[in-house]
Amino acid sequence: MITFFNVSCTFGKEAGVKNINLTINEGEFVFLTGSSGAGKSTLLRLIYMDLFPEKGKVVIRNFDSSKVRSSEIPFLRRKVGMIFQDFRLLEDRNVYENVALSLYVSHYKTREIRQRVYNVLNQVGLGHRVYYNSKELSGGEQQRVAIARALVKEPVVLLADEPTGNLDPRVSSDLMSLLTRINQNGTAVIVATHNYSLIPRVPNARLIQVNEGEIVNPT
Amino acid sequence: MIVLWFLIKEGFRGLWRSNYAGAFSIIIIALSLILIGFGYVAARDTLVMVENIRSQFDITIFIQPKVASAELENFTKELGNIREIERIIYVSTDSAAAQFKLEFGEDIFDILDYNPLPPSFTISLKPPARNLISVEEVAARIKKFSIVDEVKYRKTFLQLLEKYQRLIFVAVVSAFIVLTLISIVLASNSIKMTIFSRRNVISTMKLVGATNNFIRAPFMIEGTLEGLIGALIAAIVIGLTFYFFNNYLQSFTGYRAIVSYRFYGGLIGLGSLIGLLGSMRAIRRFLE
Repeated sequence: MITFFNVSCTFGKEAGVKNINLTINEGEFVFLTGSSGAGKSTLLRLIYMDLFPEKGKVVIRNFDSSKVRSSEIPFLRRKVGMIFQDFRLLEDRNVYENVALSLYVSHYKTREIRQRVYNVLNQVGLGHRVYYNSKELSGGEQQRVAIARALVKEPVVLLADEPTGNLDPRVSSDLMSLLTRINQNGTAVIVATHNYSLIPRVPNARLIQVNEGEIVNPT
Repeated sequence: MIVLWFLIKEGFRGLWRSNYAGAFSIIIIALSLILIGFGYVAARDTLVMVENIRSQFDITIFIQPKVASAELENFTKELGNIREIERIIYVSTDSAAAQFKLEFGEDIFDILDYNPLPPSFTISLKPPARNLISVEEVAARIKKFSIVDEVKYRKTFLQLLEKYQRLIFVAVVSAFIVLTLISIVLASNSIKMTIFSRRNVISTMKLVGATNNFIRAPFMIEGTLEGLIGALIAAIVIGLTFYFFNNYLQSFTGYRAIVSYRFYGGLIGLGSLIGLLGSMRAIRRFLE
């Protein structure tokens, strides 16, 4: 589903990734681990085409980074869900509006938007917070809204960049359980983290270690 | 339809959320339009005044002395055939003498014992022919008639009038273009501030797969609304100014500015356009 063909993408001498060859299959759960600046986030950004390789190419389903036009990138992003350490919610909107935004951009009908948003919010355990403003929620709840926003468009892969970075251990553990459930429903999940304690929470996950822009344990 | 409604709603919401930055954009647009509006009225009326002066321009044709009346009649007919001529007035020697007395207060016969004033024609040209080229051409054609002694017109005056009218026209058009462009740039810069304060909305929209047009639309609606509100403020200020000061203006200068509904319509259209173009220019940077 996602393939890196000898990908290099650097910002100066140190950062970025070098000569990455990697395949991630449908429905996989993958941990990208490594210290800060190792290149984990760069790999994720290459997947949702926020960055483009200087060398090689990344192919996500039928989107090829070497051929894709900028007007096609939004259509890729409708297939790729993303969550971040800082949640990136719109603070002036309520939970419903934050989640529904993903569907408005894809031109869904109002009734379907409502149905999907309620379903996904129940799925992430926020059915009782639908009309709360995102600022009124705890960190864990905000991250769940971000997950709901990513999931509501039924992505083929969910990318999580340090998703527990701002959360306490108990909430982090709950979040990993949620990501595992999402993965069991067929969505591939890629978690970039330097928090090694999360890894045992997902026994069948594939572990990819990144160090100084290179994959240490290629499989 | 749902998407369109969503985008319109977002546009109105954006205006509401933009707070001081939005208000600043509206004020900038309003001030620019007030300048453009007053400038337009002043320039338009100046051009009308110049055109009025031009309409009073005429050519005098002096006839040889002692011309037979048949020849005069024939010449009058010939003048009537010149399509550029709008009006022909014949001034006989007696009428010329009477006019002399009226103007100078003395009888020409008391001074000279005879009337030296020749018969003449005063002609005025149709509006399209009231320019130097046409006047010279008509004068040359008239001069060819044997009964014509001299053709006189105020050539220097016409040259000056044409020069200044062209100058005023160029100045007005240039000022209009420059002011409009400045307004677009100013509006765009202040709209850029509003967009900058909401750049997280743009990046989130990009993340969830919004196309550039989808992201652009609410900001364009917001910009157009800001332009529209700015134009309404400008229209009210200009309208009230003319309403309260026209009487004073007329009593001191004899001039009264008349502003039509079409002018206000144009102002509102221009304001909306400035807002729209300004927002399009501003959002471009954030979508690169």
